[in-house]
Amino acid sequence: MKAFSDYHPVVLAVYFAVTAGITMFSQHPVLAGISLLGAVVLFLVRNGRKQGMSHLLFLLMLAGMALINPLVSHNGSTVLFVMNHNPVTLEALLYGISAGVTMTAVLYWMRSLSQIMTRDKLLCVCSRLSPGLALVLSMAIRYISLFAAQARKIHLAQKAAGRYGDHSLIDRIRGGMRIFSVLLTWALEHGITTADSMEARGYGSGKRTQFARFRMGTGDGLLLAGTLLTGGLTCGGMAAGALSFSFYPRIVWGEVTPLTAVSLLSFGLLTMLPVIIEAKEALAWKYYLSRV
Amino acid sequence: MLMIRSARLRTFLRWSIPLCLMPVMVLVGGMIFREKRYLLLACMAAGLAVLLFLSGVERRQTGARRMVLAAVMTALCIAGRFIPLFKPVTAITVLAAMYLGRESGFLIGAMAALLSNFYFGQGPWTAFQMLAWGMIGWLAGLLAEPLKRHRFWLLLYGTAAGVFYSLVMDIWTVLWYQDGFHPALYLTAIVTALPHTILYAASNLLFLWWMAKPFGEKLGRIQIRYGI
Amino acid sequence: MEILSVEGLSFTHAGCSEPAVRDVSFRVREGELIVLCGATGCGKSTLLRLLKPELAPNGTQHGRIHFAGTGSGAARIGFVMQRPEQQIVTDRVWHELAFGLENLGVPQEIMAARIAEMASYFGIEEWYDRDTASLSGGQKQLLNLAAVMVMEPELLILDEPTAQLDPIAASEFIAVLHRLSRDFSLTILVAEHRLEELIPLCDRLLVMEAGRLILDDAPRQAAHALRHHPARLCAMPAPVRLGCLLGTERLPLTVREGRALTAEYACKPPEPAETAPRRTSPALTLEHIRFRYDRACPDVLQDLNLTVHEGEICCLLGGNGSGKSTALGVAAGLLRPMTGEVRVFGKPLRRYRDGALYRECLAMLPQDVQTLFLRHTVREELADAGALGMDFPFDLSYLYDRHPYDLSGGEQQLTALAKILAQKPRLLLLDEPTKGLDAAARQTLTGILRQLQAQGVTLVIVTHDAEFAAQCADRCVMFFRGQAVCTDIPARFFSSNRFYTTAASRMSRGILSETVTVEAIAACCRTSGGAPC
Repeated sequence: MKAFSDYHPVVLAVYFAVTAGITMFSQHPVLAGISLLGAVVLFLVRNGRKQGMSHLLFLLMLAGMALINPLVSHNGSTVLFVMNHNPVTLEALLYGISAGVTMTAVLYWMRSLSQIMTRDKLLCVCSRLSPGLALVLSMAIRYISLFAAQARKIHLAQKAAGRYGDHSLIDRIRGGMRIFSVLLTWALEHGITTADSMEARGYGSGKRTQFARFRMGTGDGLLLAGTLLTGGLTCGGMAAGALSFSFYPRIVWGEVTPLTAVSLLSFGLLTMLPVIIEAKEALAWKYYLSRV
Repeated sequence: MLMIRSARLRTFLRWSIPLCLMPVMVLVGGMIFREKRYLLLACMAAGLAVLLFLSGVERRQTGARRMVLAAVMTALCIAGRFIPLFKPVTAITVLAAMYLGRESGFLIGAMAALLSNFYFGQGPWTAFQMLAWGMIGWLAGLLAEPLKRHRFWLLLYGTAAGVFYSLVMDIWTVLWYQDGFHPALYLTAIVTALPHTILYAASNLLFLWWMAKPFGEKLGRIQIRYGI
Repeated sequence: MEILSVEGLSFTHAGCSEPAVRDVSFRVREGELIVLCGATGCGKSTLLRLLKPELAPNGTQHGRIHFAGTGSGAARIGFVMQRPEQQIVTDRVWHELAFGLENLGVPQEIMAARIAEMASYFGIEEWYDRDTASLSGGQKQLLNLAAVMVMEPELLILDEPTAQLDPIAASEFIAVLHRLSRDFSLTILVAEHRLEELIPLCDRLLVMEAGRLILDDAPRQAAHALRHHPARLCAMPAPVRLGCLLGTERLPLTVREGRALTAEYACKPPEPAETAPRRTSPALTLEHIRFRYDRACPDVLQDLNLTVHEGEICCLLGGNGSGKSTALGVAAGLLRPMTGEVRVFGKPLRRYRDGALYRECLAMLPQDVQTLFLRHTVREELADAGALGMDFPFDLSYLYDRHPYDLSGGEQQLTALAKILAQKPRLLLLDEPTKGLDAAARQTLTGILRQLQAQGVTLVIVTHDAEFAAQCADRCVMFFRGQAVCTDIPARFFSSNRFYTTAASRMSRGILSETVTVEAIAACCRTSGGAPC
């Protein structure tokens, strides 16, 4: 029993790749709508009413994208009106809405991904691909906060040494350059000691392994299987042309077959997997509380 | 994991993927597919190219010092992305690549894009940014000698890199927005992004102008004293 | 059983003509705790690095190093260096612990078990998930030790591990070393300046000078051999120095032994100290200062009042987080207090405009002097500050062509001081100037600060170093929870403190009043063999 974000990083990475990938890949407006719904619900379940304002921003962006397309693209056969000698068509408007929904959906998936894929998890995924790369990433992350702190110290020291004021923009730029110069020397020398410390602990002496903080469990396997199965069905449907849809020159729905329904259903299930997991978790906890 | 046994195939891929396959794939994909498929293709290709490079780094037994310096430079790039308007990311990547070699250059550019997007927003565009910055670094490493010799070439390269970055990201904008690669739309995107392009080029020019000397001296000292 | 033997080892750095290590021979038996000491630049670090093959510097080497351990590779010899922060590789504590084992390719289960074991032994469990950047200096060094111990080394080498730590963290670190040596019979070789706590614990003391090993003996015998060697003696613990001054046959090593000696030899009460230092006009006044770094954090300074008079040396002491460094930042105009007023030479800080404060008025030596260095040679560094050709109470010209980062801690301190003095300050603020310095460099610094005082400069020094404060201060101020709780001349300040005080004060408490330096005790005692008074 664990929350969605506690699943194995590799499984989570696969989940987000499949979901966002299908969303981008498909043309179908219904699928885009399902994807947006799933992404927004997941974000809301995880964040509640926090960041309420940001939703408005995304809504505005969606509207903007929907409206710009008909002004730029003049494909399509159903002319709504003519603006600046250019026809504005229904098809272009609908395409704009569909593209906007797709993009917003992908952005929402990415927002949840950024929250869920913390550094440790990202490094875990990376280390599967390349342990050396994961190590460089880990070191770089450490250096960012270290450099920020050191830059603050340097700023104060240089200021007290009377080396610059911070009254005008020119002063500040000069000050910034000085800080960078001091920081660079310090960072390079610092790095040499770190490298010594690495070699003293046997770095480069043989084949490296990576300490795995995350273990693959049964639950992870199930989520992975679920992701691959539902995602695979949707992809299969797409490959078979069950989800074909075209906007230009006029809107053509592909033939609606049972396969279309299956594909869309399985995609719906895919986007709801995290929410189902979270709901199950919440219920289990309530049940536990009621028994105590 | 990402290992290709044959050294020749590896070299071939390391050279051909970013230089021919990638651009061809994006362009031809854009021409042939009238649907969004090529966006995924492009993303995959960008991701693959990045991984291929990194696998090259992994294969080579790079010393701890070179590795740490790459991490240091990456962190500096990321810190630089927080400066408003003028960003030294490309300049640092170029200078680091000139002194640490082309593999490190690619690594630094790509990693800086990947990591800094944890603060600036992660998404499919990350792959394009990784590729653009990585390529700028890789080429700078390749052209290290002339770039080191004359300030002029360095500044020219910096300006060109700014334009290049903007062009690559415009490809991304067009692919992301429309259902095909329309040259007309690409042109529009280039024109709309012109202020950004100028800003990129200008900040590269400025930062390279100012940083080339201290950077060279400081990295040079480290190289001589600690034998990297 | 012998674990390490070094025979006739000589070493010359690549590109140098003078050897850094000359004909050194010694043996280490299993389970010994050995302390290596010597002035900065005597070749200690080079010798230690030669013992660890992965860190051996470039150059030509003669002689033989034989390590008899059973294991192989980097795991056999653990190595901990001076700067805690620079040895950390990864971003998380758990990953740092795992790093060494990952390099050795240890299987997952064994790795997990060893990490769990070490984390519990070193008390790291509570911060196992934290960012390494968020740890304190003491915690970082402990993590470095744990990250080495997890590889199960047979010999542990430490190169000045406590130099950058405050006294409390340093004592804790040394206690951990002692525990490792006692509980696991781990062989430890440690180079250190801070000998007060290590000498009573160690089995043998090795002393180096100019690349040669001049002494290799049990600590008491070694101290005895050094009694006519003033340059080395100043680095010895206070009880040893007292014994040497009194000329006793058996030298005391601990405060307890030193106390017995004081009781035996004390013969006259000390001269009463000056009651109050001469009052001059105030150079620095802090009135009702309140400060916090963040809204969510508690106050660091709470209604702080402090006055420093012109021409005096005032030391601010106190534990970590007591607010003394913050007070210095507020006084230097770097941090803006929420309430209260700072006055420098009678004029409120806000009335100094456009950096007038930092021209011929106030200067500050930061804790980390490397934050001041940005050029390639000391000469350029001084030119950058306009300090070239100025007259200082010390000579730097022999360092002019060196890179600032190639200098020793003491030399870096002096170069930074020279840069700061170019501002011709009348009020000089120093933040932990003795951090990482050896005894000789500390004495030099004390002399220089005294000379500056004679030139009319007022000095405010933040320090953890009670011995240093007792030597050079006119007045000491104790900080506690953001307030200055007590202020007095050093003799009375340290004799009224029981814990936060000098070793000499602890040796003479209740026997002699207000004697806080070894010299002060010696002045009240008869010499060995001298007539009782």
